[in-house]
Amino acid sequence: MPNDGSLPTASPPAAPELSATGIVKRYGALLANDHIDLSVARGEIHAVMGENGAGKSTLMSILYGLQQPDEGRVLLRGEEVHFRSALDAIGKGMGMVHQAFKLFHSLSVWENIVYGAEPRRGVFIDRAAARRAVADLAARHRLAVDPDAIVSKLSVGVRQRVEILKALYRDARILILDEPTAVLTPQERDSLFAVMRHLAAEGRTILFVTHKLHEVMAITDRVTVLRDGRVVERMTTAETNPREIVRAMTGRSVSLTVEKGLSHPGATLLEAIDLTIAAPGGKPLVDKIALKVRGGEIVGLAGVAGNGQSELVEALVGLRRLDGGKVLVGGIDVTDSDVAARRAAGIAYIPEDRASVGSALAASAADNLAMGFHRTPPLARGGLIDAAAVARRARALIAKFGVKIASESAPVGSLSGGNLQKVVVARELSHAAPALIAEQPTRGVDVGAIEFIHGQLVAERAAGRAVLLVSSELSEILALSDRILVMYEGRVLADVPQDKANEETLGLLMAGRAPEAA
Amino acid sequence: MSAAPQPDARALSRWRPPSAAIAILFAALVGGALVLASGVNPAEAYAQIFMGAFALDNWPNTLNWATPLVGMTLVAAIPLRGGMINLGGDGQLIIGALVAAIVAIYLPGPGPLVAIAALIAAAVAAGLYAALAAWGETRHGVPMLISSLLLSYPAVGVASYIVRFPLRDTTTGLPQTALVPEGARLMALNGVLNVGLILIAAIAALVLFVDRRTVVGYELHMRGINLRFAGYGGVRLDRQAMRIMFVSGAIAGLVGAIIVLGSQFRFIDDVLLTPSYTWSGLMAALLANGEPAGAILAGLFFAALQTGGFAMQRETSVPRVLTMVLQSIVILFLAVRHGAGKSRE
Amino acid sequence: MSGLITPFLMQSAVQAITPILLASLAGVLCGRVGVFNMALEGQMLIGAFAGVVGSYVTHSAAGGVAAAMLAAVVFSLILAYGATIFRGDSVVICIGMNLLASGLTAYLLRVMFGVSGTFSDPAIVSLAKIRITAIQDIPIVGWGFARQTPLTWAAWALVAIVSVVLFKTPLGLRLRGVGEQPDAAETLGIDVRAYRVVTVLVAGALAGLAGAQLSLGAVSVFAEDMTAGRGWIAVVAVMLGRRNPLYAAAACVLFGFADAFSVKLQSQGLPNQLTDISPYVVTLAALVLSHRRRTRALVSPEVAAATPGGMAEPQADAR
Repeated sequence: MPNDGSLPTASPPAAPELSATGIVKRYGALLANDHIDLSVARGEIHAVMGENGAGKSTLMSILYGLQQPDEGRVLLRGEEVHFRSALDAIGKGMGMVHQAFKLFHSLSVWENIVYGAEPRRGVFIDRAAARRAVADLAARHRLAVDPDAIVSKLSVGVRQRVEILKALYRDARILILDEPTAVLTPQERDSLFAVMRHLAAEGRTILFVTHKLHEVMAITDRVTVLRDGRVVERMTTAETNPREIVRAMTGRSVSLTVEKGLSHPGATLLEAIDLTIAAPGGKPLVDKIALKVRGGEIVGLAGVAGNGQSELVEALVGLRRLDGGKVLVGGIDVTDSDVAARRAAGIAYIPEDRASVGSALAASAADNLAMGFHRTPPLARGGLIDAAAVARRARALIAKFGVKIASESAPVGSLSGGNLQKVVVARELSHAAPALIAEQPTRGVDVGAIEFIHGQLVAERAAGRAVLLVSSELSEILALSDRILVMYEGRVLADVPQDKANEETLGLLMAGRAPEAA
Repeated sequence: MSAAPQPDARALSRWRPPSAAIAILFAALVGGALVLASGVNPAEAYAQIFMGAFALDNWPNTLNWATPLVGMTLVAAIPLRGGMINLGGDGQLIIGALVAAIVAIYLPGPGPLVAIAALIAAAVAAGLYAALAAWGETRHGVPMLISSLLLSYPAVGVASYIVRFPLRDTTTGLPQTALVPEGARLMALNGVLNVGLILIAAIAALVLFVDRRTVVGYELHMRGINLRFAGYGGVRLDRQAMRIMFVSGAIAGLVGAIIVLGSQFRFIDDVLLTPSYTWSGLMAALLANGEPAGAILAGLFFAALQTGGFAMQRETSVPRVLTMVLQSIVILFLAVRHGAGKSRE
Repeated sequence: MSGLITPFLMQSAVQAITPILLASLAGVLCGRVGVFNMALEGQMLIGAFAGVVGSYVTHSAAGGVAAAMLAAVVFSLILAYGATIFRGDSVVICIGMNLLASGLTAYLLRVMFGVSGTFSDPAIVSLAKIRITAIQDIPIVGWGFARQTPLTWAAWALVAIVSVVLFKTPLGLRLRGVGEQPDAAETLGIDVRAYRVVTVLVAGALAGLAGAQLSLGAVSVFAEDMTAGRGWIAVVAVMLGRRNPLYAAAACVLFGFADAFSVKLQSQGLPNQLTDISPYVVTLAALVLSHRRRTRALVSPEVAAATPGGMAEPQADAR
């Protein structure tokens, strides 16, 4: 049930805890928030849903004082407020946990929490008081953390607790949680939900920004759905269903599953043998991983971010040196080859970070699409580049992949996330390489682009290529993979066939529990 | 959004005067204040600069000054195009000059061949010295930004020692080597000008061509925009960095050799660095964000400014070091207002 | 060894350390708030020039020191605002500032005093030395500090003060946070730009002190480009010291001794062209040794950070 607390929340009371009316925010020609109304009751867990670019982040930034609205009013407990900075908002009892945590990694937990509101003794920080305050707070809200731990050594779940404690230390009455579950295992998510319920029961109000339907159904009281900067629907969770919410978010109904037919795996095209990457003075980042991907199958690599997936992928494509083991592409040992040679041997790679690795934002689409093809005919002959051929090829790919861009000579930096990702996908797939590594291929792109990219990956599989899909999005892994590997602390804990996999077993594995123990 | 303004109207509203022009205007104003403070009419000082640079009689002087300056502009622009900064031009120039002098003075053989050998030796020696900084970064993680500069000091010190002691021309009493034999000197063209001018012009043309038309140029440019993208796309970054720095240093070495073989005919301690070609060249390259055509233009502009500075100093008693001040104000203005040198984001 | 380390050597080493130390403290402060200050050379040079001018005009060393600090702070406004409010590239701004300092001091030298190269005048009062006879016979440290300027004492006191402020006070915590993760500081209500601007200006004052020590400490003269790379050595000290004032001070001590030894070698007949380069050679060697085998990734974050467009200086180790 949505709320096990003792406070009545069934209908919005006369004076809501927080209400925003007619919020408008423009960025140049873009209308990010278009007369948004939002009303949240005390002790309520209220979901704010919408696709990427629907205006959720802008709205939350305004409520937290990071941005100022062009029009509209914000009322707290019936009193109008004008936040000019986060400090104003904090002073009025607002707290926010950002999707990308805002933590100081080299500092300790207590330093992170008291930052900006330090207990003092004379001109010095009162260390003892600070640590005590943090420990008390943690105990009271059942958020177990060691005040002296250095943040960089904490797991993602614990870092999130630090973020929540930061807000509670400032006695936040209204807590904004921006996509808080994106990086959590299902078990960590459940413990977060327990904390959320506890906070709501204390009379705190929670704004829960998410795009995950089952979470909304599990924990919230009411839902506000945004699309294109406008509120399109307000619902009471108990009276709605996931299908209705999706329709509100996208304006159409979307199939949540992918049709892909039976797999016919062929020869092994991508293989890692005992691949090891040492960490300076710690346990290995990647610990003797063995991995085989055959032609005609999609192998999903699941795991909470930071368990060695990125390092493994970098080692496979040649962007990182190995400390042990081998990499084979199409049966050929490429361990000692660099990126260019591995690409020639048959690897294509859609990187996790499309903006800082997968593209050159200030360069034209044509230049971006030429990378990797720029040394050989038809784009280059004898060291000279044929600019006309580069442009021709770019136009063809832009048309084929439906990239929305003014022309091939426009820089890609102005493209939306989905369109930029299409540029990366277009370039990598046009290699027609036997092995494709797709790392978080749909992170931060809109639903339309997700469907398109998923279709492309399935098409690669049908064409007999080996696809290694690395994703922290379990639903994506489950929908696309033929086999699923789960990575935890640098090792592969299990190799699960798709028909034996479900969210719960994978979740336990992602949390490091071996199958027997589960 | 639906009622978009007329396309041409929108283009017009987006038009801004070229930022370099504003920067130069700003520098002229600040510089004017400095001139005024010294009791001279700024308009007169600037008029003298202009006449000194562009009066027909002074063209050879301007071009003679532009030869090393544009050369050092390329030295800075090539790494900058790839997102790197070579602050070690002074040391590379000195090494080139010294090696050229040694080869030209001591290598027997027909003059023109000796000159060519001296040029090549200068380029190779200076190129290797510059590549050392890239090697330090790729192998040892020592930021090239700092190491390239620090490497200059030992180069300058050792060269100074060599010319003061082992190779000193004891007949003159000055810290300088013996004269380069006449046959090994660069052919004079017209008055102060020599073949070095043509050599630098040819290199500039080659750099432009490579930048615009070749695989090497494409990879360099992509590296400059996004290093990680280039590496991900298969560019061998370590090797590329070493090559870029080798080429950059080699051009600096050639500039040093051209000065020795073309105008001074010997290596004289301290004289090569006094005009600050390295730093003017770096500023010109930064002005154009490493884009070679723009950098060359900026280099020519700075050369004209400095040549004009001599005339200003002669005619108005305003010190010509004012031109260095003007240059740095231009680059600061651009860096602050328009993010010059910033290629990402 | 006993013949090597003499009272004179210690005294000249401590003297050589002072300007580098003051400048590196300036670099540490800037680095801590995330501004990579490569303009120490230029800031020092401005300070050195203004110090001489101030002393010449006021006939007092204190006047010179005040002028040095003031001028360096004003000069630092370029970096303070350029790299924060205007979001300019700090590397380019610093290169421009160094060249501006070099050109501007040379220009003003000619315009104001009608000389080029060096300027000295009986009217320039140099900094008085504090003589402490009680310690002058204590080997090593006593030899070094028995006869030094107030600025030397100030420099070492500042090492302690900066350390305490950075690591023990709310202000220091905030500064460290601003440099490490500005958007996190922002969300906690810290005005990141204001912290940066003020810190860069305070650092400018320290660099100005460094310049005053250079032109009014051992001598009372201004020479064009008299900083001669000391600002760059300070930059390296900041890097080697990982923006920790104590470690940076240790690096400065190393360079100061290299400098003092080179003077000593000179007195034993080696040509000064060769001995002068020893601080730079030591600096380069220290850089190579400290950076060896830092990271396995082919494009290390440090390298990326030190290229134009990169934000701050190389992070301290990414534990």
